[in-house]
Amino acid sequence: MSRYEIRYGAVGGQGIVTAGALLVDIAVEKESKYAVESPTYTATVRGGPTKVDIIIDSERIIFPQATAIDFFLCTFQKPYELYKNRIKDDAIVIVDTNLVKDLGDTKNWKLFKVPIINETKKQLGNIVLTSVVTLAITQKLTNIVDFQNMIDYVKHWAPKEFYDLNMKAIEVGRSLV
Amino acid sequence: MSKKREVLQGNIIAAKAAVAAGCNFYAGYPITPSSEVAQYMSAELPKLGYDFIQMEDEIASLGACIGASLSGKKALTATSGPGFSLMQEHLGMAVIAEIPVVIINVMRGGPSTGLPTKPAQADMLQARWGTHGDHPIIALYPAFSDEIYSETIRAFNLSEKFWTPVILMMDEVIAKAHEDIEIPDQKEIAVFNGADHPLDEDLNIYDRQIGEIPPRVDFFKGYPIHIDSLEHDRHGWPTTDPALVDKMQTLRMQKIYSRLDEIIKFKEYRMEDAEIMIFSFGVSARAAIAAVDLARQQGIKAGLFQALTIWPFPERELKERFKRIKKVLTVEMNMGQMKLEVERVATDDVNTRALLRANGVPFTPAEVLQSLKEFVK
Repeated sequence: MSRYEIRYGAVGGQGIVTAGALLVDIAVEKESKYAVESPTYTATVRGGPTKVDIIIDSERIIFPQATAIDFFLCTFQKPYELYKNRIKDDAIVIVDTNLVKDLGDTKNWKLFKVPIINETKKQLGNIVLTSVVTLAITQKLTNIVDFQNMIDYVKHWAPKEFYDLNMKAIEVGRSLV
Repeated sequence: MSKKREVLQGNIIAAKAAVAAGCNFYAGYPITPSSEVAQYMSAELPKLGYDFIQMEDEIASLGACIGASLSGKKALTATSGPGFSLMQEHLGMAVIAEIPVVIINVMRGGPSTGLPTKPAQADMLQARWGTHGDHPIIALYPAFSDEIYSETIRAFNLSEKFWTPVILMMDEVIAKAHEDIEIPDQKEIAVFNGADHPLDEDLNIYDRQIGEIPPRVDFFKGYPIHIDSLEHDRHGWPTTDPALVDKMQTLRMQKIYSRLDEIIKFKEYRMEDAEIMIFSFGVSARAAIAAVDLARQQGIKAGLFQALTIWPFPERELKERFKRIKKVLTVEMNMGQMKLEVERVATDDVNTRALLRANGVPFTPAEVLQSLKEFVK
């Protein structure tokens, strides 16, 4: 594989920083790939617009910032407007059906409108699990990491008492796209 | 068996390397984008039986590090531009009194509180000349995760070896990015520890031959030694005697400048047949490496000189390259700092240019490529 760029946009608390961290950990620890992840920090992660850029490559990553994004997932209108730049014309773009309404120019994107937040709340009962739902959506659409490696890593990462819930979150994510 | 690769944030990599290098004291005042260094040390040092102190400000932070260092500790503090400004007074004290200490400065946009906390590379000359008076200084600047680790180790070793403050420069991009790294085994890391030095009755702690380094003498070993921020004689007592001042100035400068081979470090990328050279460091050097590859695809023979040691400036190394290469492009996130050094070193037949920006947005490889293309036109 060659350099692949992913961006998640959300508001703080929607779980994308965790999703990004999980994704690069799987890529590096399970698949010996190279990865750089740059999340926003400080006050913005507590309710403000949040972004995490992830670059995964089979070779060492030279430039550490996203310049041509292949995959963009966004769950809120304001971060969508703020971070809708450097996205490739033919990128895969996923937006939350209910929370990102005004899309503007969607170029030649492979666009998916998905009720991520509502379905997470409805089916899993806790918005915290958006992180794993996001991870599962990314894995299914990009195959950037292997499905089994994702399962194995989430099993190892999740606290025992939340193990089943996290596995269900993976199922929910996959069912949405 | 291959070692484990993992994803760690740049600041955490630096903190881990500090511990591996023998750091056993931290005093600091947290400031973004450097705070995770303090965060990590606050958790790890007490576990090892060492001290972490959160100070009231950055002036006190470096003061505490100096005190700890004088009593034999390997001390670290970490900050960003506003805090680094406050540290300048104590930085001078560490230089004149010849006290080892490592200061990490994760640069953000300035001046003053400036651009919290967008990346910059604009404290380059402050690192060199921020504290007043003539003085030598060592400053290092990694760009990749493995370099953050190795240069942090090197910062401690150089500090301990040369009895001088060493500044580890980083930019927000590399310090805040979480990147894959293979942390070396402790046994693979060469840690330099200055030998404890018994003193005779003369209590000479500073006099030595030019080019030599003062012996390690710690507080609390029973010697009535005096350490002063004033210019001093061989016992550390204040003096204004011109001949003695000359001597002490020379001793301090020459301990660094007569041993540059042990301090200067750099990396080159595709320089063998390069006709145009980029001079850069930190995140800008990473954009430059990618730009060199893009330029080569378009027939432009570009190469990169990436400085890992910023101060002392790799003057001799650049001069050597300017015998062959007549075009140099400096790429840096400031309004023209290290380009002044490049211009100073370049001979008259070398064409110099710079790609500069200080608005918090790092250069992309495409922008560096564009600048190369304009240069070769």
